[in-house]
Amino acid sequence: MDPAHTQLLLPDGIDASAAADRLAAHVAVVTQRAHRTDRTFWDTFDGRLHAAGLALVDTGSRIALLDAATHAERAAGDHARSLRRLAVADLPAGELRDLLDPVAEMRVLTPIVRVRSRVLPVNVLDDLGKIVVRLRAEEPTVVAGKDARIALRSRLNVAGVLGYEADYERVLGLLAGELDLQPVAVPVQDEAVAAVGGVAGGTSSKLRVALAPGARADVAAVTVLRRLLEIIEVNVPGTLADLDSEYLHDLRVAVRRSRALQRELRGVFPPEPLRVFRDGFRELQVLTGPTRDLDVQLLEFADLAATLPAETVPDVAPLRELLELRLGAERAKMVRGLRSERTRALLDNWRDFLDALVDSPEDERPDAARPVEDVAGERIAKVYRQMVKMGRAIGPDTPHEALHDLRKKGKELRYLLEFFASLYPSEVVKPMVATLKGLQDVLGRFQDREVQADALRALGDDIAALEGGAAALMAMGVLVGHLAAEQEQAREQFDERFERFAAKPQRKLVEQMFG
Amino acid sequence: MTNVIALYNIKGGVGKTSAAVNLAWTAADEGARVLLWDLDPQGAASYLLRIRPKVRGGGAKLVRGKSDPTALLKGSDHPRLDLLPADFSYRNMDLALDATKRPTEGLDRVLAQIAGDYDYVFLDCAPAISLASESVFFAADVLLVPLIPTPLSLHAYDQLRGFVADEVAKPRPRILAFLSMIDGRKALHRSVAGDLAADDGVLHSTIPAASDVERMGSQRRALAQFAPHRRAALAYGALWTELRGRLADGPTRSRRARGSGRSRRGPA
Repeated sequence: MDPAHTQLLLPDGIDASAAADRLAAHVAVVTQRAHRTDRTFWDTFDGRLHAAGLALVDTGSRIALLDAATHAERAAGDHARSLRRLAVADLPAGELRDLLDPVAEMRVLTPIVRVRSRVLPVNVLDDLGKIVVRLRAEEPTVVAGKDARIALRSRLNVAGVLGYEADYERVLGLLAGELDLQPVAVPVQDEAVAAVGGVAGGTSSKLRVALAPGARADVAAVTVLRRLLEIIEVNVPGTLADLDSEYLHDLRVAVRRSRALQRELRGVFPPEPLRVFRDGFRELQVLTGPTRDLDVQLLEFADLAATLPAETVPDVAPLRELLELRLGAERAKMVRGLRSERTRALLDNWRDFLDALVDSPEDERPDAARPVEDVAGERIAKVYRQMVKMGRAIGPDTPHEALHDLRKKGKELRYLLEFFASLYPSEVVKPMVATLKGLQDVLGRFQDREVQADALRALGDDIAALEGGAAALMAMGVLVGHLAAEQEQAREQFDERFERFAAKPQRKLVEQMFG
Repeated sequence: MTNVIALYNIKGGVGKTSAAVNLAWTAADEGARVLLWDLDPQGAASYLLRIRPKVRGGGAKLVRGKSDPTALLKGSDHPRLDLLPADFSYRNMDLALDATKRPTEGLDRVLAQIAGDYDYVFLDCAPAISLASESVFFAADVLLVPLIPTPLSLHAYDQLRGFVADEVAKPRPRILAFLSMIDGRKALHRSVAGDLAADDGVLHSTIPAASDVERMGSQRRALAQFAPHRRAALAYGALWTELRGRLADGPTRSRRARGSGRSRRGPA
């Protein structure tokens, strides 16, 4: 039932009125009064709407979710009250929220670009004087500062009317024939973002580095670590401003990956400076840990509370309040630390160190000049062997710590594979990644449930002292019981997942490839 | 959830079509997605919207499920208002419905295929009580009855209420009326309006007898297009606001599965 839409570029020298005049020789047209529009486009920091082919636009009177290319409307609502951030959960229940929720998930939307346009509406009429095709000639500008505007390419939006498809095709044919108009390849919002120096599609925290086979190991390490440093730095402002929990998450993942590479490829670095940086990165991880833990507890709170009987759910409200209170305090500490001279110096020095690494003396860097696939391959084989050994030692009565240690090791292997997988044949890497993922899922669940239960227990005394604390405490007891049961389920799946990960054919492949 | 509102009166010439077109336009103007189905074989609503009263295959194929109603829809000059046009064959709608298995459900079967894409569906119905109007009673959430404040019109209204109460199976549509073509200078109009003021089924908003409404025929446009700030257009605006409030208060009948579709309209 969608009326067809097309956007065409108006070439230089043909403005909206000229296009209308040319059409008027062939069809009846009515030109309406030109008006101005002022649209702010919103997206998540990492461009999730863009990736999903969507655009969210605030016109000042309403907010609408559009198809990014055609601007056909999918849903709409009242315009965003905040000029800085919009959490999907804060939207009123309805189609707009339902469509945005699975795309944005936990990320907030922020304004990415503001486009002001002069729009000339031109309608094509049939013999009854009825509108059968709607044309909107748009002369857009992007707002690049208080008084600065950058002109973008003019475009003609052609929209059909339901039941008048033949007229639409005819007008398109006329436009192509008379004016040689070409379809728009880049939506106006993407052109606007590029015009002000941004990247359409947002800022990704994905690794995305290409390593050349045969490259020096230190060159490869620097390539990956520079990208990780970039990810850390782009996520700092959003973490400090507390826009959403993903900034901190992505920052911490990049720190953890950096630490893994510092450890696993230690032979490409001079030992003493490396020790100092490893300490610094560990501090950064410790500094941000409590805030992330509380973020996770709050993100998972609703799901966890939903495991309670319905009548008990309100009882855990004091727990949520306490978690929020703690989060506020921990965040303040973290923000102070992230803003500190110490953190600034750590990241600046790390960048300088990476810049100078490849040209520094190699006498204390035995792996520096070796081909990266050799150095990484040795580490992959070694960590894999260590995991097989650790996993085999796990029996029914093994303390939980052994499973937690195995998970840590597994993360190390996962990062090595993420960094260097492109250097090896996919028939070797793919099954390894798949079985590792299966194992890590189980180990992750096993540890997370324990951490969650421990966190609840640790809050017990404080909750008991609050008003309504007794009821909350009883509900928390039920939650701890559920968590323990889920942890037990994960434990039961461990043997089977580990067997797949450590199966003979896979061991053989790893030895042949990396050993 | 789609609300189906049937403009209905046993008596003709009471302002059904003007109300259907102006209310539908006003609702679309507010941002709602609206469908108007012109069920009157005279095709006055189609005429006012400058859309030819022609349905490929006619009404019989449509109610028999042999035509795809989505292919018959026409966009109006308002980007959020579509029309399912009239067709002269609708004069034989009773025969067409009678040839189907459950005649009273005929119109509802058609609506089930298209109504989900809209917030409101207005049915502009032909006068008289017939099989077609029984099918309207089945399909509609609300019968919206324009009342001229004359004894004959009130008598027809009572007849309708009696018929729905006695002859229409539950869940019955709600019946809401409003005073139409009111001339404040006439004592009779004032008196009848006063008598009806306490009736909960009669909306407070009234539509005046205004030359602008008559001019719709020559303009072939909704009032909001050519006289948006004049008395008649404002009266339809107020009527819509009141009706929308009453729709939100009352239950929508749940025997049909509607509201699953999603419309995608033109550019924002």
